Amino acid sequence: MLLLQNARIAAENSPVLVESDVLIVEGIIQQIGTSLAIPEGARVIDARGRVLLPGMFDAHVHFRAPGFENKETITTGSEAAINGGITGVVMMPNTRPALDSATAIATVLDNARHRARIPVYTSGCVTKNREGKELAEIEGMHRLGVIMLTDDGDTTADPAVLLRAMQYATEFGMFFASHCEVPELAGPRALNEGVMSYRLGIKGSPACAEEIIIDRDIRLARAAGAHVHIQHVSSKMGMETIRWWKSRGDVKVTAEVAPHHLLFTDEHIGDYDTNYKMNPPLRTQADCDALLEGLKEGVFDLIATDHAPHTPFEKAQDFISAPNGITGLDTALVSLYHFFVEPRKFGWDVVVKRYSAEPRRLMGLPVAAIEVGQEANCVLFDTEAETTFTKEFMKSKSQNTPFINQTLQGRVDLVILGSEILLERE
Amino acid sequence: MARKDLLDIASLHREEIEFLLDQSTSFKKLFTRSVKKIPALEGKSVLMLFYEASTRTHSSFEVAAKRLSAEVTNFDVAHSSITKGESVRETIETLQAMRTDYIVVRHGHPGLPAMIARQTTASVINAGDGAHEHPTQALLDAFTIKEKFPDPRGKKVLIIGDILHSRVARSTSTLLQKLGVEVAYLGPGSLVPKYGPTTIPRFTDYEAAMAWAPDVVYLLRVQMERQDVQFFPNVREYHRVYGITTARLAEIRDKGLYIMHPGPVNRGVELCDAVMDYERSLITNQVENGISIRMAVLDWLTPGGDFPRQEAYAARQQAGSSVM
Repeated sequence: MLLLQNARIAAENSPVLVESDVLIVEGIIQQIGTSLAIPEGARVIDARGRVLLPGMFDAHVHFRAPGFENKETITTGSEAAINGGITGVVMMPNTRPALDSATAIATVLDNARHRARIPVYTSGCVTKNREGKELAEIEGMHRLGVIMLTDDGDTTADPAVLLRAMQYATEFGMFFASHCEVPELAGPRALNEGVMSYRLGIKGSPACAEEIIIDRDIRLARAAGAHVHIQHVSSKMGMETIRWWKSRGDVKVTAEVAPHHLLFTDEHIGDYDTNYKMNPPLRTQADCDALLEGLKEGVFDLIATDHAPHTPFEKAQDFISAPNGITGLDTALVSLYHFFVEPRKFGWDVVVKRYSAEPRRLMGLPVAAIEVGQEANCVLFDTEAETTFTKEFMKSKSQNTPFINQTLQGRVDLVILGSEILLERE
Repeated sequence: MARKDLLDIASLHREEIEFLLDQSTSFKKLFTRSVKKIPALEGKSVLMLFYEASTRTHSSFEVAAKRLSAEVTNFDVAHSSITKGESVRETIETLQAMRTDYIVVRHGHPGLPAMIARQTTASVINAGDGAHEHPTQALLDAFTIKEKFPDPRGKKVLIIGDILHSRVARSTSTLLQKLGVEVAYLGPGSLVPKYGPTTIPRFTDYEAAMAWAPDVVYLLRVQMERQDVQFFPNVREYHRVYGITTARLAEIRDKGLYIMHPGPVNRGVELCDAVMDYERSLITNQVENGISIRMAVLDWLTPGGDFPRQEAYAARQQAGSSVM
C-alpha cells in the first residue's frame, strides 16, 4: 500500500493540476481524494508541490539489440526509460539481424520479457532486411503482436513495394510508420541543406527530401486504405503537408515530433558537434517554431524521442564519419518541462496527451491515467529540483546527447508501475 | 599572438593575417639567393598526412619545411593500416606517440584537422578539409593579390566556378573580405548556392558579372571528382558559358584584369590554352608564393601545450569498456 499525499495530478484534457491524495493498493489506484485516511501499514509519501503524471510512453526507440549491444541493450535502454519517467516503449527494427521475421520478433520479445522492468514493444520491418525489395514476414510478425511496420532509418524507397505492403498488412489491422526522405536527395549526410551546410562544407539534405515522402506515403496510404504514421517530422512544410492531409479527413494519418527537432537548429552543430547529428537533421528556427505550433494544434499526435544510442568512440569521430542519432529517454521528460512547461509554452496536459496517452492509443494499448480503478502507472515529478545529466546519471549505455553535463530544471523522483516502485530518487 | 594550429581563416585576426603576409615577403626575399635555406626549424619535424591526392600543396609544404631546415616525413596513407580499417583516432594516437612537431593534414572530411589538433601537441596545419577550408591557399592568394595591389581595399575579385564544393572559395573569400577586398561569385546555378554568404554578390551570367567590374578574375578548378550527380550538362557547355574563352581573354586583356587559378587547371574547361601565356596571369606567382606563405605559417605556429595523452588514453579506456 502506498499513499501519495497532496500530489498535483496532471491529466490529458486539462492544463489545471488537481491537488489530491492517491492511494495505491496492490498495484491499483484505489482512492483519490483530499485528506485520505492513512490505512494501516501503508507507506506515506509527502508529494506536496510535486506533479503526478501518468507514465510516459515512447513510440520510437532504438535498443540496438540484437547486433549492436555495445551501443544499447534491452536492459540498459529500458532502464534509461525508467530513469526518464517512461513506462513503455516501442523498439525500431533496424537491428542486426533486422526484425523482419517471426523468429526475430519472438527472440526480441522473449528478451524484453526477461530483461526489462517495463513493457517493451517492437515494430517490424516492412521489407526483408529493410532493403526495400521483398516484403518481410508480415503476418508472422503480426501473430506475435506486432502492429507497427517500418523500415525506419530509411524510407521504403520503391513506392510500389510500399503500396503492396500497405494493401497486404492493412487487412491484419497493422499500420505503417514512415521515415520520410527521398534517398537520392538526402544523400548520406545528416545535415540540413542551407547556410550551415555551406559554412561547414558538407553536402546537406534539403527539407523537400522529407516533404516529398511525407506526401507520397500519405497518398499511398490513402490509395491502400492504410493508416500511416509519419515519424520524426523535422520541417515546417512537412508539418504543413500533414496538416493539410488531416484537414481533408479522407486518410488515416498520425504523426510524431521529437524533442530535439523542437529545441535545436543546425546552428547548434557549431564546430562539428556530433551530438547534434541525427537523421532527419536539425533545421532552422522557423522549422522549430512551426513544429511547436503543429504540436500545440494537434498536427502531431505524439512526441517520441527517436532514442538512438551510439558509443562514445563512434560519436568522437569527425562529423561525416560519426553515426546519426542522439539518445533521448533519460532526458526527454525533464527537457520538455524545462523548455516548454516551465516557460509556459504549453501545459502539462500536452505532455500527458502527447507523450503518454496518444502513443499508447497509437499502439492500441489502454491509456495510463491517474483514475480510480486503473493500474498504477505514474511518475512523481519535482518541478523545484534540478537534474544534471552526467554520464553517471544516465542509464543508457551511451551518452550521445546534447544535454550531456547540462543541468535542467525538473526531476523524475518516483516511477511506479503496478505494485512496483521502479525508481525512487532521494 | 602565438597559435598552435592553423585550421581555418574564419578565426584568424586581421593582425595575424598582416603578420603572415609580411613574414612571407621576408621569406620570399630568400628565394633569389643562391642558398635558400635558413635554420629556423632546425631539429624540428614535420609530418605530411595527406589522405587525398595532392601534388602542388604537398610539395609546396615540403619545400617550405625543408627551406626552414625541418625534417619532413611522409605518412604513407595509401600503404598504411588506414586502408586496413584503422580509425583516424587511432592514427592520431600513433602520430602523437611519434612526437612530431608539425602535422600538415589534408582529408576529405570537414573538421577532421581540427579534431586532430585537439588531440595532439603538434601544430596542425589544415591543408584542405573537404569543402570546408584551405587556409594556406587563401593566404597565398591574398599575398599574390597584395603584390599587385599593395592596398587591396576596395579591389574586386570575381571567383568563377564550382563554389559549392570549393574550400578555396570559402577560405579565400573570407580572407579577402577581412582585407577589405570585395568578392563576387559566378557559376552555374547548381554550383553557386543561393544560401551562400549574403555579403557576396552571386552571378550566374558572365556578362552581368563582368559589368560588376572586377580587378581580378579567379578561376576555380571544376572538380569532376566531387560531383556525385551532374551539376552541368558537359564541359563544352561549361566552357562556353562560364569559361575564359579566347574571345573573353581578349576582353580581359583590354581591361587589364589579372587571372588567378589555384591549380591544377583543366585546359578547355575553366580556361582556354591562351590564358597560360597571358601576361597578367598570376598562376605561377601563386605557386611561388605558396612556398613563402607556408614558410611563414610554419615559422609562426608554436607546437606544444599540455600533452593530452593521459586524458586521451583514459577516454579511450572508457570508450573501450562499453564495447562488449
